[in-house]
Amino acid sequence: MPIVIQPYLPEHEPAVSEFNQRLRAGGEDENMVFYRSAEPRWIPRKADSRIYNEFFVAVDNGVVRGGYALKTQEFLFPDGQVRSIGYYHHPLSEGIVNKAHAIVGTLLLRDAMQRSPLLYCLGMGGYENPLPQMLVRMGWAHFLVPFFFHVLSPAKFLLQMQPLRTSAARKIAMDMAAFSGGGWVGSKLFQSYRRISAPRVSPFAVREVQEFDGKAQPVWEQGKVTCSLTAVRDVDALKVLYPTSETHLTRIEVERGGATVGWAVVGERRKDAKYGNLRVGSVVDCFAIPGEWLSVVRGATDTLQKQNFDLILTNQSHREWDQAFRKTGYLSGPSNFLFAASKPLAALLDPFDQTKTRMHFTRADGDGLPKNF
Amino acid sequence: MNSTFEQVQAIASDIFGLPAGKITAESSPETIENWDSMQHLNLVLAVEEKFGVQLSPEDIEQMKNIGAVAAVVDKIQSATR
Repeated sequence: MPIVIQPYLPEHEPAVSEFNQRLRAGGEDENMVFYRSAEPRWIPRKADSRIYNEFFVAVDNGVVRGGYALKTQEFLFPDGQVRSIGYYHHPLSEGIVNKAHAIVGTLLLRDAMQRSPLLYCLGMGGYENPLPQMLVRMGWAHFLVPFFFHVLSPAKFLLQMQPLRTSAARKIAMDMAAFSGGGWVGSKLFQSYRRISAPRVSPFAVREVQEFDGKAQPVWEQGKVTCSLTAVRDVDALKVLYPTSETHLTRIEVERGGATVGWAVVGERRKDAKYGNLRVGSVVDCFAIPGEWLSVVRGATDTLQKQNFDLILTNQSHREWDQAFRKTGYLSGPSNFLFAASKPLAALLDPFDQTKTRMHFTRADGDGLPKNF
Repeated sequence: MNSTFEQVQAIASDIFGLPAGKITAESSPETIENWDSMQHLNLVLAVEEKFGVQLSPEDIEQMKNIGAVAAVVDKIQSATR
């Protein structure tokens, strides 16, 4: 019997459990496991869904050898058309622990490309990982989505930030800066300078909402014209992506003169050893009418500051958001958050190098929601 | 003109960094040390490029050793003639 890639059904769950056990026995990270439940917890497919997540498994004589997830979502394209495209995520193959199954990785990707020729990948942890290497080899168009961070507690940041503490000398220098206050002064001065030198923004109000409602619709209608490619962020999509049940997310609307001019979704990132015990917040998603990017970034930043975060992170691909974050005092850092488009998708984005500067991708477009953003 | 097998053998020799003479019809991921997921994809892409064919997931699934790769190519070519 050949390997068959098919929708993940409840009857596959015991075989997936055995697959996960073989990965663990092969020495893989305990987080490297496929979904235990066939029913996605995050945006499962319903009869009338425009955004949904599905799982597929590679079955070889009743034994599961791999699997992947595919999110389907509507995107607005440069030609003004809205198309449903696929997001390929969480591929896992037994080939990583047993070379006898080396073909599974290729089969999974080819299967996803058949199901959804307009396919993209996002995140992936950097070019050195197997999946991005595969995509590059297959001629996918790609770029790194810029990464930004904003330090709200500089002394704590210097003491805790593991990626920067790479040598004994650096550790001592960072500890000294933290205790002497030099780090705080330097960081605050730089971020204040960025903020002072930013264009003045006329007064705006930030309103926390439980759920996005009709006020978000004009924001989508007016803001979409600035994007070459963006996931549809109309009010119906926002209700699916950020339902009231996701209580760990904060939704804000930015208002000026009584009208909503933008919105953002912020929240606390999951704990990660590289950030020590810093409280890390994230600007998960954002959208604005033209010219209101800066007020939305400030609104999101102030919201996270009031929630006592030590550090804020975000990834933003659109040049206007890039500029707005920089002008709000965010610093850019090395990104490992990749966007890659299949050849059929890239063909609709030609010329890719020009189009990419107005693509709107944030961490919300990745696999992190609802909690791992 | 070289046979399909000899051409696939030459492709595999390049990809896996082995002398062609060491690659037999039975050579597989279990006998070639650096035949991993990435190199399998490289093999698929190189075969597609060399023979001007598009391999389906079903074709790829059959490519479990070098002899099977050549057989898949022969099957596709004879179907399109």
